[in-house]
Amino acid sequence: MFLLVVLTALAQVSVAPLFPISAASPDYALVALVILTVFAGPTTVMVALPLMALFLGFASDRSPGLLLMAYLPLLPLALYLEDSRVPLNRYAEMAVAGMATGAWARLVLAFGAIAGGADPSFGAIVGQLVIPGLILDFALLTLVYAPFRLLGWTGRGMSLQRSRW
Amino acid sequence: MLIFSRYTWWVATMVGLAMLLGVVGQTGLLTPLQGIFLKVTSPVEGVFATVFRPVAAFLSDAGNLTELQDENAKLRLDNEELRNKVTSLQQGAEQVEELQKALGVTQNVASGTKLAASVVHRDSSPFTDVISIDRGSNDGIKPGMVVLSSQGSLLGTVTTVTSSTAFVRLVTDTKSKVASQILESKVEGITRGSPNRGVSFDLAASQAAINVGNTVVTSGLGGNYPQGLPIGRVSEVSGSSQDLSKKVTVEPLVRLSTARTVLVLTSFSPQRIGLDSP
Repeated sequence: MFLLVVLTALAQVSVAPLFPISAASPDYALVALVILTVFAGPTTVMVALPLMALFLGFASDRSPGLLLMAYLPLLPLALYLEDSRVPLNRYAEMAVAGMATGAWARLVLAFGAIAGGADPSFGAIVGQLVIPGLILDFALLTLVYAPFRLLGWTGRGMSLQRSRW
Repeated sequence: MLIFSRYTWWVATMVGLAMLLGVVGQTGLLTPLQGIFLKVTSPVEGVFATVFRPVAAFLSDAGNLTELQDENAKLRLDNEELRNKVTSLQQGAEQVEELQKALGVTQNVASGTKLAASVVHRDSSPFTDVISIDRGSNDGIKPGMVVLSSQGSLLGTVTTVTSSTAFVRLVTDTKSKVASQILESKVEGITRGSPNRGVSFDLAASQAAINVGNTVVTSGLGGNYPQGLPIGRVSEVSGSSQDLSKKVTVEPLVRLSTARTVLVLTSFSPQRIGLDSP
């Protein structure tokens, strides 16, 4: 898990900016956290998420605290979707939780930049960052999730008792 | 309920940790740890860059083939014109050098000591445009130092420095503000990064004459940049003479996305009293 987090943080800063759509880059950190949530369970993500924020902050010179807040909704959202009576299968739950967290993360980071002195441009946030980001997140989550399902991995529930530890 | 309670505790702990990291980050206590992390992981970043940059370049070139062909034809013409200009400028430079020697004039600070560095990665979004370079405090890099392209155009300023790595805020970052002027008309203004990696020039005087193709250079006001560093060319001027302010769009001289080697101007000490702060 530790190695996956470090490699993902490094890929996020050195590979993701090479493949942008509009102004949004693929969020490998988010995808890794979603995949960990589904296949390794929530307990693993409870440790992986702050580590990811810290290492990503180090690699990109962004505030680790801000990054932690950006990815924080993932677990509560996944739990809510599993416990709710919304008729979603495991893939749909994962996609909705991942995309919503991705949109939240991009908004938090954009507002963090504006709070740090950047000129506010809400049109750019929505049109060039959030919407292309949603498309990228959906495509990437599907691409990464499909091989696991083809291998027959079903994933774990969000209940802490049913988790690995 | 117990499960929800455990999640609630975790979320509360994470919010507390985020606030703690925010405070500790402001004090600079994380910088040594960041330096160790970057030093240990730099070979991996190098491998990633070596593998994926050619792929990204290929995909980018394939998507812009027609545009690249047009650009290539235009560049050939520009190249010929510039070669002719270089020849005449060389003759002029020799004359200037002779006169400087005769008058005892010191060289412009922009031609001072430079340290070459390789770009490790670029973090780019509509609001941030930051690169990291493989030089740090061990090489004499300090926050506020000016970073140039290999051809001498202004790229940005150093913001954070660890022992072996430094982060550079590019002129296209929306936090970047550079006191600058139009070379041809000496009109003063501020060059600032705009969303989606653009650059705009805010006029100090609204009625000033600015034309497409004019060159924007640093003015040296504020003491954060040497005077005369080229930044870009005016690519668009919108708004009539009746408008209170014209919108001037600037195209950077250097293609920032393809910059691999940069030069850090180590001989220039910024005053840090002006517009841009790290």
